[in-house]
Amino acid sequence: MSHHVTFNDLPQGGEKFEPAKGGKLIGTLGLLGALGIVASAIFFFTSTDTFAYSWLFAVFFCFTFVVGGCFWILLHSASNSSWGVAVRRIWENLANMVIPLAILASPLLLTAVNKPLYEWMTHHRNAEQIAKADNISVKEALHHMVVHGGEVAVNGGEKVHLPPNPHLHVLVTKFGYMNLSTWFSWYTRFALYFLVLWFIARTLRGKSLQQEQDGDIKHTIWSRQFSCIVLLPFALTVTFAAFDWLVGLDYNWFSTMWGVYIFAGCAWASMAVSILVVTWLRSLGYMQKVVTDEHYHLMGKLLFAFTVFWAYISFSQYFLIWYANITEETRFYLIRNTEGWQAVSIFILLGHFIVPFLFLLSQKRKKNPVVISLGCLWILFMHLVDIYWNVIPERGPSLGQGVLVPGAWVQDIAALCAVFGTMGFLYLRGLAKYSLYPWRDPRLLESVNVIN
Amino acid sequence: MSTTLKRVHGYLAEFDSVKDLYHAAEHVRDAGYQRWDVHSPFPIHGMDEAMGNPRSKLPMFVFCGGITGTTIAFTLETITQTNFWSHIGLGFLQKIVETYPTVVQGKPTDIWTIPAFFPVMFELTILFSAFTTLFGLLALIGLPRWNHPLFVSKNFSKFSDDGFFVCIEARDPKFSQEGTKSLLEKVGGKNIELVEDEI
Repeated sequence: MSHHVTFNDLPQGGEKFEPAKGGKLIGTLGLLGALGIVASAIFFFTSTDTFAYSWLFAVFFCFTFVVGGCFWILLHSASNSSWGVAVRRIWENLANMVIPLAILASPLLLTAVNKPLYEWMTHHRNAEQIAKADNISVKEALHHMVVHGGEVAVNGGEKVHLPPNPHLHVLVTKFGYMNLSTWFSWYTRFALYFLVLWFIARTLRGKSLQQEQDGDIKHTIWSRQFSCIVLLPFALTVTFAAFDWLVGLDYNWFSTMWGVYIFAGCAWASMAVSILVVTWLRSLGYMQKVVTDEHYHLMGKLLFAFTVFWAYISFSQYFLIWYANITEETRFYLIRNTEGWQAVSIFILLGHFIVPFLFLLSQKRKKNPVVISLGCLWILFMHLVDIYWNVIPERGPSLGQGVLVPGAWVQDIAALCAVFGTMGFLYLRGLAKYSLYPWRDPRLLESVNVIN
Repeated sequence: MSTTLKRVHGYLAEFDSVKDLYHAAEHVRDAGYQRWDVHSPFPIHGMDEAMGNPRSKLPMFVFCGGITGTTIAFTLETITQTNFWSHIGLGFLQKIVETYPTVVQGKPTDIWTIPAFFPVMFELTILFSAFTTLFGLLALIGLPRWNHPLFVSKNFSKFSDDGFFVCIEARDPKFSQEGTKSLLEKVGGKNIELVEDEI
């Protein structure tokens, strides 16, 4: 039995992180971010259409971490857990990255960016023109386009007559959700997702910081009640954000598993990130007494749980679509399970499920900080591949440029550096703002001395 | 005067607290005993290390059970619904079921129809794992059994309420009537008694 840690062993006021100590990593991320932003600016102006996909991929990749961080504090509070108090601040800070993320995501609001991404928006914008000219509602105009076609001004302003397009019927029926002009449009929801996440993240960290002033248990209890209430809005936020940004890439496609599928990836990847951050902080000499092998073991077990959960959900999605064999649904897997993308699909099966599954089975590996951190790097990489595989295969077919747009991977890397580098830089620097763990949480010692 | 033959089960010693029990366990472990156990009303964190218990073999059993389940499901399904076994040169296996082929729902008969088999493979993996967990556990802890020699001791009934005990069994190669008793005394054992079981 190792020494039982008491408050006398822990520094008064918690541990404050000095960014200078971790300058190497922070500097590298900052540099990557800066270079990425410069490159992204160039690509944005030279090849907006293909780059829009790169940007969506990079933004969504980082979005999953913010969502995941938010999920782990919510779950931890709602389930009245005490084991994770020592690492809770890591999640709180992760969730609070939502503001920089919203800024980085804002280019998606530009018509130039969302036009190549979401074909349905083009149809809706055409319908808006017809609606204006004929003095009818946008939905009626869409219906008009299905039956009669219509005259619209494109790009340079020249009038083009669109032939009747029966495929648009699906947009008429989906008008209630997929639209740009009602009070609950795509734009409104875009803002709402960030607002909800920001509200949750900010409130919970606020309570946590308030507790650092007075050490009162009532903040813990308040957070628990709050978490139980906001779990549902949180779940809806993740689900519909995933629908709006990814499923919307093909307006014919739908999958009821999608929200859960994305959520599973969020929780998985953000747990890997928090393990990596803890290891990094410990290697710099922080959190030596508050985090033990037991925390690694617990976090490793959750990582394992979500490895299996992700596999279960993603297979269920594949299975239902494969068996039902409905044209609108199968397209998603047709483009991802043929040509070059098939190799990526099989790689995801191996690397996203089988390898982490076998790796995380052993208790010894989960308890070893170095070994599990290496595993987490792999998990992070596989999560990247997973998001890439979800976004990018749409690009070639949608833009009419074949399966893979040649050379576009450079743009993907630029966007990834820009978003991930900037977010990483801001996140790690942001750790310095508060103590690295909630040092006056009444259940801190319970967490520090946890044995499972 | 009774002449019933009795068998020595071992020495039972009582301890006052978890702390005492924990340190006693460390001493018994260091003395090199193999067949002994600790009894307490609740689980004690770190007792496994204090007793020097190796990791349980159960996970290994469960892993093998799970793999067996997957394999059985895979074999059963592919034999009855695909031509996979003929393709790898084991066509005779297929002959067995050709009498009653079960190609349903017009699925392709090659191995790529495998997604349809995953649910069954998954279920059998879980089922076999659950069975090996339950029965492996029962086998490892020696249940079910009618009685246990320790129930002879009146004092031992405290183990489910507030008693902390160490019992060193007589079948341990290092067991001796004098040595074991003095060890238990040395580490602070109280109410030391020699538990004898009626044959």
